[in-house]
Amino acid sequence: MNDYILSLKNITKEFPGVKALDDVTINVERGTIHGLVGENGAGKSTLIKVLAGIYQPNAGEVILEGEARHFSSPIEARGAGISVVHQEIKLAEPLSVAENMFLGNVMMKGGLVDWAGMRRRAREIVDDLGMDIDINAQVSSLTVAKKQVVEIMHAINNNSKVLIMDEPSAVLTDRELEVMFRIVKQLRAKGITIIYISHRLDEVFDLCDNVSVLRDGRHIDTLPISQVTRQGLITMMVGREMGQEYPKEKGVIGETILKVEHLSRGILKDISFEVKSGEVFGISGLVGAGRTELARAILGIDKPESGEIYVRGKRVKYHTFSDAIRDGLGLIPEDRKLQGLVQIMSVKKNTTLVNMKRVIRCGVISNKLENELSEEYSKKLRVSTPSMDTEVQYLSGGNQQKVVIAKWLFQESEILFLDEPTRGIDVGAKAEIYRLINQMVKEGKTVIMISSEMPEILGMCDRVMVMHEGHKMGELLAEEATQEKIMALCT
Amino acid sequence: MSTNNNKQTLRATKNVGAIVKDWMSLVGIALLIVVFSIISYAKFGAQYFLTWSNWKTILLQSSTVAIVALGQSIMLLTGNFDLSLGRMVCLTSCVGAVLMKNVGMNTGLAIVIMFAIGLTVGLINGLMVAYVGVPAMIATLGTQYICYGVAKLLTQAVPIPKMPDSIAWMGRGYILNGTIPVCVILMLVLYIVAQFITSKTKVGRNLYAVGGSREAAFFSGINVKLYQLGTFLLGGVLATFGGLVLMSRLNSVAVTNGQNYEFDAVISSIIGGVSLAGGKGRVIGTMFGCIFLNTLFNGFSQMGVDPFVQDVLKGVVLVLAVTLDVASNKKKS
Repeated sequence: MNDYILSLKNITKEFPGVKALDDVTINVERGTIHGLVGENGAGKSTLIKVLAGIYQPNAGEVILEGEARHFSSPIEARGAGISVVHQEIKLAEPLSVAENMFLGNVMMKGGLVDWAGMRRRAREIVDDLGMDIDINAQVSSLTVAKKQVVEIMHAINNNSKVLIMDEPSAVLTDRELEVMFRIVKQLRAKGITIIYISHRLDEVFDLCDNVSVLRDGRHIDTLPISQVTRQGLITMMVGREMGQEYPKEKGVIGETILKVEHLSRGILKDISFEVKSGEVFGISGLVGAGRTELARAILGIDKPESGEIYVRGKRVKYHTFSDAIRDGLGLIPEDRKLQGLVQIMSVKKNTTLVNMKRVIRCGVISNKLENELSEEYSKKLRVSTPSMDTEVQYLSGGNQQKVVIAKWLFQESEILFLDEPTRGIDVGAKAEIYRLINQMVKEGKTVIMISSEMPEILGMCDRVMVMHEGHKMGELLAEEATQEKIMALCT
Repeated sequence: MSTNNNKQTLRATKNVGAIVKDWMSLVGIALLIVVFSIISYAKFGAQYFLTWSNWKTILLQSSTVAIVALGQSIMLLTGNFDLSLGRMVCLTSCVGAVLMKNVGMNTGLAIVIMFAIGLTVGLINGLMVAYVGVPAMIATLGTQYICYGVAKLLTQAVPIPKMPDSIAWMGRGYILNGTIPVCVILMLVLYIVAQFITSKTKVGRNLYAVGGSREAAFFSGINVKLYQLGTFLLGGVLATFGGLVLMSRLNSVAVTNGQNYEFDAVISSIIGGVSLAGGKGRVIGTMFGCIFLNTLFNGFSQMGVDPFVQDVLKGVVLVLAVTLDVASNKKKS
């Protein structure tokens, strides 16, 4: 018999109008890393919330160590040994590392807080994981990666038996990821069972022992990782043959449209490069290499200290971002939730926001024009939304990103910077975004793509510039670029 | 959850509940009218509430607050607020009265100076909040005290009676054979123009974007700081205008003029459906919010409720309106 620490039996969870989970049965073996994959909206988050006691299922049961359990609150689930490290970091930033590790679980001695005991225990856990973290440091001073480790430590400090990790890698650089992987494997060695949710399939193959696939609220299959192929997993997730993951098509390459010479600002040191119209130009490098800073300096968001920028052969000096926008440049920012979209505005209004003049007649917004044009773009980009008046906050990540792209296509930008365009987006939506990139360059537009995902850079770009600590380390043609070559340049 | 119902048409139709919520203040006014007119019959055997002369009073009392509240509600739309508005009413009208009466300055010139002062205070508020990053609460609390202090210094807190006849038309004038007060018309015109600008023009849309998310607005090429500064300047201008109408209506100026207007403005805005968090609501709702409040107090006065109870009621109405707003937002998400 298999040793299952956790079993979900026929779990069904309905929301008004939606069956988020439909008769899901999954068994998790003790002491394994169990991957959970599926597209956005497949039901992964709902499943986690059921396990964490945030939602109560309409039918079915959760069996923990052979015992049927009903968690009516997150506190009960935690008490039973199920902890969740959420995608968004939820720490008390002004408090210390040690204090955060004991949040909601403060050690007491004689009716008072046992600070010495908590620090001792905190240090033990940190040492145990072989981490270099000062337990007295204020959490707000830590890097994102370290904050995540603090989250993990907070979870295991609860004597968790099952640790659920919801896309822990979405915000980490490759090097930080290695550290995280080591920690996760260490935890497994200690006998903790880990349920690992990720959009990055490479990780699932590197890390997991078993993998479960969800699609449209249904459990498709659970298999040992050795018995699935990457392509097979993708097919299970999207429910159809996906074809190529990176469907690169060449654009119509023309003249040099953007030329940057000896640009310096802040960490950026003497950067020069040229991009032709119709090209997909990749900017690769680790987080903190100055890629976003470079885009900002070109787009007039930050003022360059020295150097020259030429657009269509003409020297330009943008004082504000809107100068650059007027000149045909655009930016799809890194943080789609905060920077890309006004969350409480409708799909329609977000689409037309940068280029209102297309829907304005005699100074007045024409409802008819705005409805028609925004709908046209939504359809072209296959944005899945109940209506054009739906606020974008109710859309999935992939759909939100499509609205951001719609917004800049609506602006008819010729040179578009995409900063991490597929971060946290599922495979299906990613493919659609790549399709849009193809479409843009075929229309002669220029795409400059900043990405931390090496396969994406290799798969979609015509040329790649590699940056490290504000310096340009080199430039590679698509044909000659490999992961190894890029890594060698960016470290 | 998944939203895969990508239908032929992507237009939404609103249900009745959403419409009622959008126009909560109008529904409220209608309910008050029904309740108070029935009570009036029951108590006095005659209709004193639903008469034109009573409604003239209600609208007259609403007009000055409503003019000031317009500035406040536009600031709320962009996610700011201004605590100095009420005292700005006080300062500008005191300066106006001193110049017109004590100095004997030409009325037109005095009015220009009043507006210059309102703009200056708005400029200081706007620069502090938008460009320096001082929290709006602190910045405008500071200018609130400064305005009040200067007004008291100027007038020594002694009321100044009898304003020049040339400004009487604004607050005490009527059109159509004495049926409709001019200041009510002024209020209506301002609100209609503001509603049009906020809902039908690029400037308006950008205001909502700034209130919805400063960052996203910035990354859409909107000059977020300038828009915020603009709303503070507008707030100053409207407060001055409110002060001018008020001094004309009361035909005297005292340092208590405009007291608590900024809070009445916030309450009216919220009742009118403008979200405290910014980016949501209609400015015209604020006018109905103002009228709702004044209808409520007018009705209570007629019923003989102690005027001191009215402040308590104002608080109750505010808390209720905000609770309803928060609760209904929660249910949606």
